Amino acid sequence: MALHCREIESFLPAYVDGEFDAVERAEVESHLVDCAACQHTVHIQAAMKEAVKRAAPAVAPIELRQSVRLALREEEPPGSRWDAVLRNPRSVGLLAAAVGAAVWFLAGGMSHPIFPARHSGFVDDGIALHRRGLPLDYAASDVGSVQQWLQGRLDFAARVPRFRQGPALQGVRLSELRSRSAAALSYAVPQASGGRLTLLIVDDPDDVDPPGSVRRLEGRQVWLSRSRGYNVVSWRTNEIVYSLISDLDETDVLQLVQAVEFR
Amino acid sequence: MLDFKHTDRTRREFEGLALEHLDPLYSAALRLTKNERDAEDLVQDTFLRAFRFFDKFERGTNMKAWLFKILTNTFINRYRRRVKERTVVEGAAREQSSEKFIVRETAESAVNPEQYFFDKLLSDDVLRSIDGLPIDFRLVVILADLQEFSYKEIAEILDCPVGTVMSRLYRGRKLLQKNLMSYAVEQGVLQAPRAMELGSEAEEEADVLEFKRRAGG
Repeated sequence: MALHCREIESFLPAYVDGEFDAVERAEVESHLVDCAACQHTVHIQAAMKEAVKRAAPAVAPIELRQSVRLALREEEPPGSRWDAVLRNPRSVGLLAAAVGAAVWFLAGGMSHPIFPARHSGFVDDGIALHRRGLPLDYAASDVGSVQQWLQGRLDFAARVPRFRQGPALQGVRLSELRSRSAAALSYAVPQASGGRLTLLIVDDPDDVDPPGSVRRLEGRQVWLSRSRGYNVVSWRTNEIVYSLISDLDETDVLQLVQAVEFR
Repeated sequence: MLDFKHTDRTRREFEGLALEHLDPLYSAALRLTKNERDAEDLVQDTFLRAFRFFDKFERGTNMKAWLFKILTNTFINRYRRRVKERTVVEGAAREQSSEKFIVRETAESAVNPEQYFFDKLLSDDVLRSIDGLPIDFRLVVILADLQEFSYKEIAEILDCPVGTVMSRLYRGRKLLQKNLMSYAVEQGVLQAPRAMELGSEAEEEADVLEFKRRAGG
């Protein structure tokens, strides 16, 4: 039975894409022989497919290849975390302690939600951003010009803080975390081996506490958490959450936060 | 202490299998996000996620398709909304750039102007019309035409039936053709009425299985 144009038309893409076997191809072609309209459609579809193949391939920038390699180097491989921990007698002891702590925590029930899911997500994304070290959108070492550059680029009033000593501002990259705009300020830390820290600024209209344990610093409330080897100290000013992310140890990072000044 | 030997071996294996697909992934990401920066972010996220789930990857199966599945999911989950917001702004700017089109020679095109037009498509026109496709159609066109995945692979990447792939591709190509035709009209290569016909046509669902049944019987 011969197929009519309307029936066959919707199968022409599969014909053009070489999806059909010999029998099906023969069936289509027996129609095409006598049908100028469908021949025309096949011709145009094949031409479009060729044109897409010609037009769209792009070569990834060299910097992307490098930053992927770099990020992979910092990333722990799958499944290695527990293997590695269990192979080390000292960490087995720590693990036992952690399990103990978890049991204690769970025994307390869910009445103290120390880690609200949404916010720990923010922090993890922030850490991912930090370790990737993507290029800056704007490079400058003085607070004033970075502050000025940010104006109008964020939909909230982020303040670029000053550090009394230590970290040197390098610039900022705009990002998006969980569909919210965010600014990631980059600093060089001369005294640290890692050499870099990120201050993540995210608007926080929901007023959910950042993850971590609460500490008090000169009358200010901050939250300290640790994830994937990074210490994160977060605090809130005018409904904006600032999170300092680095691989410095707890004391150093708290000291840095203590040295933060807003104009 | 981490076992560095194990770590390095896994990383080397992953890099060996995955990094050769960087350019195709970037090409696709560029057409999905429509800008270089988001494309870079998307590709980097894709590789990190893939590495994190590398122990779930079945050795010997299709690495490229697996990476594209991760890319697609990552895009849908994290970038779609953001890109949508951004394109509203960029759309206006892009409209203005449509002026700079080359005037084509018309001697050869007298016989079948439409086929002639489609044989000589400009990359700018093609990219512009791909970018104008709604995301579901754009995805299948990118996967089928740019990456040349089979329908079965596309169905696995997008987690949908082969019939859906086929009907999206059918409608996607029609829209693509319609977009390109409107450029042809814009540039005076084709007359307006011929191009309008396409727009009014009813869209039909394709069912590859049904066809196979018919052809076989």
